[in-house]
Amino acid sequence: MEKDSSFSRGSEMSLLEQFEGILEGDKLIDEIGFLGPSQFASLDQDLSGSSLDQCTPIQLADVSLETNIAELNTVQYDKNFFWNRNNKLAISTDVLSHLYIAARHAYIASAQANFDHLLEDEILKHTKALLILSCNFSSAWNDRKLVLSRKHEMALFLEELRFSSLILSGAPKVESAWSQRRWVIKIVGDYLQDSPGIIREESDLVEKIAEKSKMNYRAWGHRCWLISCMNNDQVFHELAKSKKWTELHVADNCCFHYRRELMLNLLKEYHEASTGCNFDVCLLFKEELKWTELLIGRYIGREALWIHRRFLTQCWIKHFTTNQGAAAVTESEDLISSTTQTFIAKELKFARSFLNITDGFYDAHDQAQYAASYILWTLKFALSQESMREEILSELRDLKPLLLKTCAVNSLGWETML
Amino acid sequence: MGELEGKKHVQYIVSVEKKKDSFEALVIEHLRLNGAYWGLTTLDLLNEIEAVKPDEIVQWIMQCQDIGSGGFGGNVGHDPHLLYTLSAVQVLALLNRLDVLDIDKVSDYVAGLQNEDGSFSGDMWGEVDTRFSYIAICCLSLLGQLSKINVESAVNYIVSCKNLDGGFGSIPGGESHAGQIFCCVGTLAITGSLHHVDRDLLGWWLCERQCKDGGLNGRPEKLADVCYSWWVLSSLVMIDRVHWIDKEKLTRFILNCQDKENGGISDRPDNAVDVYHTYFGVAGLSLLEYPGIKPIDPAYALPVDVVNRIFFSK
Repeated sequence: MEKDSSFSRGSEMSLLEQFEGILEGDKLIDEIGFLGPSQFASLDQDLSGSSLDQCTPIQLADVSLETNIAELNTVQYDKNFFWNRNNKLAISTDVLSHLYIAARHAYIASAQANFDHLLEDEILKHTKALLILSCNFSSAWNDRKLVLSRKHEMALFLEELRFSSLILSGAPKVESAWSQRRWVIKIVGDYLQDSPGIIREESDLVEKIAEKSKMNYRAWGHRCWLISCMNNDQVFHELAKSKKWTELHVADNCCFHYRRELMLNLLKEYHEASTGCNFDVCLLFKEELKWTELLIGRYIGREALWIHRRFLTQCWIKHFTTNQGAAAVTESEDLISSTTQTFIAKELKFARSFLNITDGFYDAHDQAQYAASYILWTLKFALSQESMREEILSELRDLKPLLLKTCAVNSLGWETML
Repeated sequence: MGELEGKKHVQYIVSVEKKKDSFEALVIEHLRLNGAYWGLTTLDLLNEIEAVKPDEIVQWIMQCQDIGSGGFGGNVGHDPHLLYTLSAVQVLALLNRLDVLDIDKVSDYVAGLQNEDGSFSGDMWGEVDTRFSYIAICCLSLLGQLSKINVESAVNYIVSCKNLDGGFGSIPGGESHAGQIFCCVGTLAITGSLHHVDRDLLGWWLCERQCKDGGLNGRPEKLADVCYSWWVLSSLVMIDRVHWIDKEKLTRFILNCQDKENGGISDRPDNAVDVYHTYFGVAGLSLLEYPGIKPIDPAYALPVDVVNRIFFSK
């Protein structure tokens, strides 16, 4: 919308003061929204019947521009433009441009006049307002980091995490908000020595955000970043804990990638620690294979599941199978490791079962396509021995036309493979 | 099949440049330098760079430079960052005005952001991402200053971000993402290190980005988006696997994303347009050799004649 020239600089400042006053008065705001005029008008109507003790008491202050806030009172704000109740804040889209310009002006003025660091509180106040309106304004995030580094107060660092969560609740993909968290955690982590607690909180935050924001690259990237701070027990724990969530989000490739990273982390740890296969990790992979098989059967035509299986197969062949015919046997005589041939034969049988499309639904076609590409991919990239690949490919020759027909969309690449 | 509405897109870009007061424009003013790159490169690809006045642009770009560090901010008065420093260099290259730069100052800023492990931080605050590796290397290469960094460790860091599926993420262990893949492959291409890429494996991952509607997505399970016409396509070109996708279907998808009345291209058909997607749509069509569009260099993301001018007229 265009800037309304009837707003003078004076009234813009008043708007900013109202806005910042609300933020100051309600420290527990956890949700902010920008609403068009008609939506905004309907807000008050919704609450007309509700009980008042559900509403957060609002602080009043002297509205004139000259006085500063001397005592705790209630803030007056123009209810045409702001709505604040139950820790929620709504701003009318009519005033966004003016608010932004006022906040930017105030921020720049305080940053430029910050001699002897006397205006640090002002900077924090104005950047907070500005970032709520324009969350990608990276210079504002930077100036907050400058103030926080100089003051070096734990309360402020923790408040910064809370502020970042507030921003992310409305704008879950904002890169600056995520990197601000990492910046704080790197500093605070050293002091608190409570990294398990921080890891858990950050992990939970990502899961909460991922619920509403599917396949959010930055959110999951943040969660993967945490893995480097975990010990093996924590990694196992995360795998167990996130399994349920993953089952409910089988179309979200990110949560499967997260599991893959956790598992790779374990593989690396045990590989460095001892020689050969570790029983726990082997069992983990075996269970993951079984679990994925179940999901593939239950959720027809889900690409993320087949991608996950490619990884599992690739790792299983590389780390847990033998080629000489001897197989690893556990104490209970249960074969959990096998020859490569046996494993591949089983996988091919599993994938082939989906190639016959009996019904006309798109899902079944997708399933067949993913199964076919899974076979081709595994043979081409997961098998390191040429001889074995040639042998199996010759057995599959009869399948070639079916395989290519099934994967019509991406057949150009496969044709050169076969 | 529809046609490319080149004139309409030019009009759209020129008009966007003028609308600076809406809230939508205000909340992206911190990345105006990126916007300048997207808009101006599109104009040049469509052979319409004359539609703008270069002197004004050059003057404004130089005002975006942070005197202390030598880096560029997204707009006047904004903190410097690699993201905007590359756009500044690219736009100046486009306008053939690299002469206004203090080459040493800018390259020292960029080189100074390389870390011990070869990675690059985006700015003084330390965030690491393979995008920043690409930006640094592309920038320094255009300025002829690659010798200021440790190229070997930069390459090694990129290789450490390679995943088992052949793709690359933002940091080691990061999920493979077409945008990050472009950055990593571009870095390897510019430094002559493409032998680190398994071309068949990565080519396969990339060609699986093509959806039933012909468009390309950035990761499994995502919808097609015009910007991936660039990230995926340029990567495929660099590893010589572009024949693995259906080019005709992709062309049709991009053309369907145009707003044929008002100009501009959107992320997918019938959505709102923006300069970012307009650039990537046209750049994608350039790689597909659509008639009437100048050829674009897949690694430097600049018209080929601009790149040639820089490297072959020294």
